[in-house]
Amino acid sequence: MIETDVIVVGSGPAGSSAAKHAALGGAKVILMDKKSEIGSPKRCAEGVSIQGLEKLGIEPSPRWVTQEIQGVRIQTPDGTDVWLTKDEVKLPEAGYILERKVFDKHMAMDAARAGAEIKIKTLVTGIEKIKNGYIVKTECMGEKTDYKCKILIAADGPEGHVARWAGLKPAAKPKEMESGVQYEMCNVEFERPGCIEFYLGSCAPGGYVWIFPKGDDIANVGLAILPHKAEKTAKEYLDDFIAKSPYLKNAQAVELNVGGDPVGGMTKKLYDDNIMVVGDAAGQVNPLTGGGIISGMTGGMCAGQVAAQAIKEDCSKKFLKQYDKMAHEELDHEIKRYKKVQEYLLTLSDEELDSIAHAFQGESFEKISTTEIVKKLIKVSPKALLKLGKFI
Amino acid sequence: MIVKDWCSFCGECAGVCPRNLIQVREYSLVFNENECKECSICIDACPIDALEREDD
Repeated sequence: MIETDVIVVGSGPAGSSAAKHAALGGAKVILMDKKSEIGSPKRCAEGVSIQGLEKLGIEPSPRWVTQEIQGVRIQTPDGTDVWLTKDEVKLPEAGYILERKVFDKHMAMDAARAGAEIKIKTLVTGIEKIKNGYIVKTECMGEKTDYKCKILIAADGPEGHVARWAGLKPAAKPKEMESGVQYEMCNVEFERPGCIEFYLGSCAPGGYVWIFPKGDDIANVGLAILPHKAEKTAKEYLDDFIAKSPYLKNAQAVELNVGGDPVGGMTKKLYDDNIMVVGDAAGQVNPLTGGGIISGMTGGMCAGQVAAQAIKEDCSKKFLKQYDKMAHEELDHEIKRYKKVQEYLLTLSDEELDSIAHAFQGESFEKISTTEIVKKLIKVSPKALLKLGKFI
Repeated sequence: MIVKDWCSFCGECAGVCPRNLIQVREYSLVFNENECKECSICIDACPIDALEREDD
């Protein structure tokens, strides 16, 4: 039996962030991941906001930034484009497209440099609640080892078992779990360089298609759908889209990734005695964009800081409630608001999306704010008032 | 459950399983078939059609 203060299960960005901050706070931390290579395979469109990284205290590195985002293109089913580019508008949030595999490894390295011990290829096969802690049962290449910790942090993704074994509800109901598929492609053509592109409507029921540029002629091309709204698999939708897109007619895939994305919002209960849940496992994902790197890492940072303090004081749920409070303060404004926008978008038909895009043609925005967009939306789509009225 | 050889072990099926019966290892899936109520949610959610129900 190996004893430690904190065990973090899952070394994605959220888990590594939790491990790093717990270690920085002075706790003895073990970070485990079932995979042989942290960060691979990825399941992600790889976009992050620069401001988000700054808030987390992470210095951008050319090793994992592939492209600075120059603008946004949103296309509706009849081919109408809405462009929000740096020349025309002041974007509220500048961003980067990452090389996720490299980024994830670097985040784990940051945790290690802060003092965390990392165990790769280590699968958690079960947990057992004990007085003031947990026993974590693991398996690494046939070798079984039990660990004892005072705080367990579940960062094991949307499919994670740890929180569910502990009696906490999973991040997403089946209906709120998007099914995603994504290629890394070369020979991609771009109308305007450096813009992230979103394609809405029946090309991806319940989600959207994205083309995120990664420098030169390379892009991350993918989509997410809600399976109960779909008639085909996610991969079939993506292949159909690629076959029709003029920008992808010469594109060749060099990588295929798949995975789930919980878009149901944050789970009701993020903690209990001696346990906290972070990242995708906790639904710390923007429900509109499906993006969860910064929000998951923010959740991880909050949990790590609380864990370090808890080790010194009290590991009961009474103390860990602080994590819940911090996570909600940091993330609610994003997750709750965008959930409303996502719900509204889900009600729109292809024709309605087109008419909204038409209404936005020729509009000039000096600065994009959610309120401005919603005001314009209500003019063309009265439904928006019902769903989004609270934004104004 | 039949797991096709193109499964990528992404965990989508485990994430949607209402009974938490699917364990995703690095390169394998372990189903607790005894408890399965055959709701098919995992089969429908798979992004690449890699799951198939076994005929009894």
